[in-house]
Amino acid sequence: MIYDLSHKTLYRYSAPVAQSHHLIHLAPRAVPGQTVNRHTVIIDPAPASSTDFTDAFGNPATILAIEQDHSELLIHSRGQIEVRAKVKPDIGATVSWADLARQLSGPGPHDLSVVQYVCASRYARPAPDVRDYARVSFPQGRPVLEGAMDLTSRIYADFKYDPRATDVATSVSELLRIRRGVCQDFAHLAIAGLRSLGLPARYVSGYLLTHPPAGQPRLQGADASHAWISVWAPETGWVDFDPTNNLMPSDEHITIAYGRDYHDVSPIAGVLLGGGDHRIDVAVDVVPL
Amino acid sequence: MSVLAMTTQVEGAPAAGDDPFQDYGAHALRYDELATPDGAIRPHWRVFCDEFRAIPSDRRMARVLRLNRLVRENGIAEDIFADAAQTAEPWRIDLLPVIFSAGEWAFLERAVIQRARLASAILADVYGPQTLLRSGDAPPTLIFSDGAYLRPCLNAPDPSLDFYAVDLARAPDGSWRALDTHAETPAGSGFALANRVVHAQVASDLFRSVNGLRLAPFYQKLQSELLSRVNRDDPLIALLTPGPHHEDYFGHAYLARYLGLVLMEGGDMRVVGGRVYMKTLEGLKLIDLIVRCVEGASADPLEFSPSGFLGPVGLMQAVRKSPRLVSNMLGSAIVENRGLAQYLPALCKKLLGEDLALPDAPRWWLGDEASRAHAFANFNRMVIRRAREGTGRPGGAEFGRSPARMSQDAAAALRDEIVLNGATLVAEEPVGFATTPSWTPTGVRPAPYAVRLFAARFGGEYHVMPGGIALTVDAATGVSLSAADGNTRDVWVASPNEVNHHVTLMRPAIEVSSVQRSGKGLRSRAADNLFWLGRYTERADGTMRLMRAALTRMRDEGAESRAGEAVRMALAAILDKDAGRKDDDKREPLKAVEDLVVTLMTSRDRAYSLPSTLESAHQVASLLRDRLSTEAWRALQSFETNPVWRGDAMPAGVTDIIDALDQGVATLAAFNGMVAENMTRNHGWRFLDIGRRLERASNLSELLLALFGQAHDDDSETSGLLFTLEAADSIITFRSRYLFAPVLALVLDLLLLDETNPRSVGFQLAAVDAHLSALPQASQSGVQTEEQRMILELLTRVRLAKVAQLAQTGPDGSRGEFRALFLHIVNTLPRLSEAITRRYFSLTEDELRRVYSRTGPRP
Repeated sequence: MIYDLSHKTLYRYSAPVAQSHHLIHLAPRAVPGQTVNRHTVIIDPAPASSTDFTDAFGNPATILAIEQDHSELLIHSRGQIEVRAKVKPDIGATVSWADLARQLSGPGPHDLSVVQYVCASRYARPAPDVRDYARVSFPQGRPVLEGAMDLTSRIYADFKYDPRATDVATSVSELLRIRRGVCQDFAHLAIAGLRSLGLPARYVSGYLLTHPPAGQPRLQGADASHAWISVWAPETGWVDFDPTNNLMPSDEHITIAYGRDYHDVSPIAGVLLGGGDHRIDVAVDVVPL
Repeated sequence: MSVLAMTTQVEGAPAAGDDPFQDYGAHALRYDELATPDGAIRPHWRVFCDEFRAIPSDRRMARVLRLNRLVRENGIAEDIFADAAQTAEPWRIDLLPVIFSAGEWAFLERAVIQRARLASAILADVYGPQTLLRSGDAPPTLIFSDGAYLRPCLNAPDPSLDFYAVDLARAPDGSWRALDTHAETPAGSGFALANRVVHAQVASDLFRSVNGLRLAPFYQKLQSELLSRVNRDDPLIALLTPGPHHEDYFGHAYLARYLGLVLMEGGDMRVVGGRVYMKTLEGLKLIDLIVRCVEGASADPLEFSPSGFLGPVGLMQAVRKSPRLVSNMLGSAIVENRGLAQYLPALCKKLLGEDLALPDAPRWWLGDEASRAHAFANFNRMVIRRAREGTGRPGGAEFGRSPARMSQDAAAALRDEIVLNGATLVAEEPVGFATTPSWTPTGVRPAPYAVRLFAARFGGEYHVMPGGIALTVDAATGVSLSAADGNTRDVWVASPNEVNHHVTLMRPAIEVSSVQRSGKGLRSRAADNLFWLGRYTERADGTMRLMRAALTRMRDEGAESRAGEAVRMALAAILDKDAGRKDDDKREPLKAVEDLVVTLMTSRDRAYSLPSTLESAHQVASLLRDRLSTEAWRALQSFETNPVWRGDAMPAGVTDIIDALDQGVATLAAFNGMVAENMTRNHGWRFLDIGRRLERASNLSELLLALFGQAHDDDSETSGLLFTLEAADSIITFRSRYLFAPVLALVLDLLLLDETNPRSVGFQLAAVDAHLSALPQASQSGVQTEEQRMILELLTRVRLAKVAQLAQTGPDGSRGEFRALFLHIVNTLPRLSEAITRRYFSLTEDELRRVYSRTGPRP
């Protein structure tokens, strides 16, 4: 499937911003099964400096500095991405979760690209309540990815999608209590749960193709950025799971970046000098060609 | 303090000639620095003990008192924003140092250097090839679970350490062990330095006899090293501090001043185009090197902790461009992780090919299964602490949690926490501490202690500072440098060789302040603080003079005084400034004056009372420690430590109050003298002087307006004028010019127009005018800035005023022209102050904020 992607973010400030810096993760990453045909980011006002680099998790990232007074900032990411349908891995043929946890916590040699995702991070930190919730999906001897799929399904069933219930700083324990949130909350819960059992899980930032109700046209800008998780097993490597939609992504998910949690790969994280109150308008279009 | 005062304070102390070591009583089974197990004094202490014994006991006591006073006056480790009513643990310095023999020191030096080299090698790997993590020689989950591991710093070109410190203690058997490593900032060495400087003032004779090694050469070499890293004439080297609210701020300011670095907060810096600049009044100035005294994780909110605003936004970007910009490198604190302890011996072998000379105290990283099993099997003997603690303050280490002292439920919860998050925890087994002599009023006693030693890298090698900071620790519960009572001591290294004692560390402030150059530009924030320091000290001075004049009149003239009403109005006018209150006191003046004096002397609720004003002066001065000479600071500090000026102890009678005011005025005069004589005539001095001049012009104008806007009968007016002349310190000048009683017109000539009188309004305005024209943003052409126009207009109006006309009264006894002029002055000066603030200080106003985009559909 080939997609035309447009992700527009418009900041409006009540007072002029004297200087702003932004760390952006908007360029889709080249991952197995995904080809980035082209990608550009338009910024208005033009930044005084813009530096592209690869971050510590291998994602393309950009740091912008805007040095002139501005009351509005537009960041518009556009690209064409090709995603091929994935062969569904045999999740039942993976190692038992406890064996994997034991192997990863044992002596070296270590695969650091896996081990780093076992460790606690800012938004996905093991805690007793999270562990107890996740543990139900992992009875003795269960293959690790089978457990991950079960956890994905349970989160889908137990939690209500509610964009008003949480914000960037909501903790997983709080989420467990209120039982509602958005995709990034569900991803954090799943990751924290897996890590509290000693299993490697990472956060995936990206987009999802949405299907308008039958008979209705696609609405402009109605798509959204999305988040899901990726779990590692020695037999399969990293395999994605989407707790918000209770599925294993195939060719309708576009990957931007991998990180330990939202903080590592937030699409746009800015620090401003001045600015007063601000409003953000986001419009995302994922159009299959 | 005079000798007389010293001896009178120690009346009742034991007679001279007693032996302070007589009842020392070191434990035979626990190592003691001073005494061997059989009670003999160790050889390297003998000279010290002999000389110490020879000091008469009253003199020893006098030294202790002087030491305490010096600590207070220098404000070591003082939290300047702490609630005055809440006294935290005071910083104390023991009269007795810890003395190490040359042989012992040679071992410690070697061991500390080895540990620093090891830490540096580990750092190079975990931010470089990560071989140790892949092999498991250093567990990757230990490193990755530590918030101090900053991934953006991966693949830095030359990851290494410049500043290293380690907390050491002897086990009761005398063997050394390492308690904690400090690789984040060099902050603690500021305390060690301050301790030495202060302690040397009471013990330099003993220090010389012991042949102690001096610290100055270490810091001189360090300073040369920093300068040599910057390939530029007149470089700008910053010491980045979290600011005055941080508990280590004293150490930061002290170190900055000593090394001649510019003390800056993140807000004083700005990153443009991948380079870091200091914001100054003249614009942005390129910073060449940053000595980092803020946590790495909080040093750049863009790439590290989103809530850490201690460094400039974009610092990591700048480091990518100039890898040696920040020292220690960002992320260096990872080697502090306590969990590394059990891996260090093998790492030392592997990385350095050497045996680890000085291993850590018994400590198990709870992310490792075998260690966890050991800790659980011996749970009640263990203390559980975080692998990363994050405080570097000497003595501030947390005590940790002891399962033995917990309920069963709490211990079970702790076990569960260890299973879940063991990677961030360690278990430690307390093994006790050796002792060192400590001074007590009843003689010298052994006290359990630990010591922090400091190393720095210069010329490509690590060097250990020949001193340190030792603390009395809580031997019963402590496993680390946790000092409950704030009792510190200096560390002396007895040298077998002759030491050159001609260069002294005793006045570092003066030595180093001469190194500071005006060309570095004035931070906008410092300009703001200097301006307010000028205002507050002048406000205190004016208030004291006015009260003194008032009380003298009342005492000498009593109820007969015709100045009573004038005095009451003058004092009430000061207090009413904060509330905008109307003066409507109808009581008998003498009684009212008494009440006003009490309020002015003691109230902390009124903004313009003396305790409030002096407290404000002290706070802004604290923020300017790096710019004030030790003497100037101590002058202000003496108000803070005196209960009279804190408003806690009101002198008993009028004469005592006048005496106190005399002393206060003299202290402020000393401060002003120091400023006048010692401060370079740069922009900083100008702002301080502008503050002072504006305040003085304002206070005098308000006084004149309050007292003479309305004519009174001749006697009252004469009395009021005498009072005003006295308060304005101009009575002698007046008497030298006129041999008769003062009349308003002549007093106005002296106090308003006469620009040769440094107390007149005209003098103040002319000085402000001159300053404003000399400042960097003053107009160089014909068009004047807003504040320049305001001062010119004021000055011109004053210069054109005719005193005879001003003194004329209307039919109702009011002085119309007088009132118009002074009201104009009194109303314009605050607007002038605001205009200056807008132009010069506003760079510091805006606060940084974060914005995120949100994932998912809009709500």
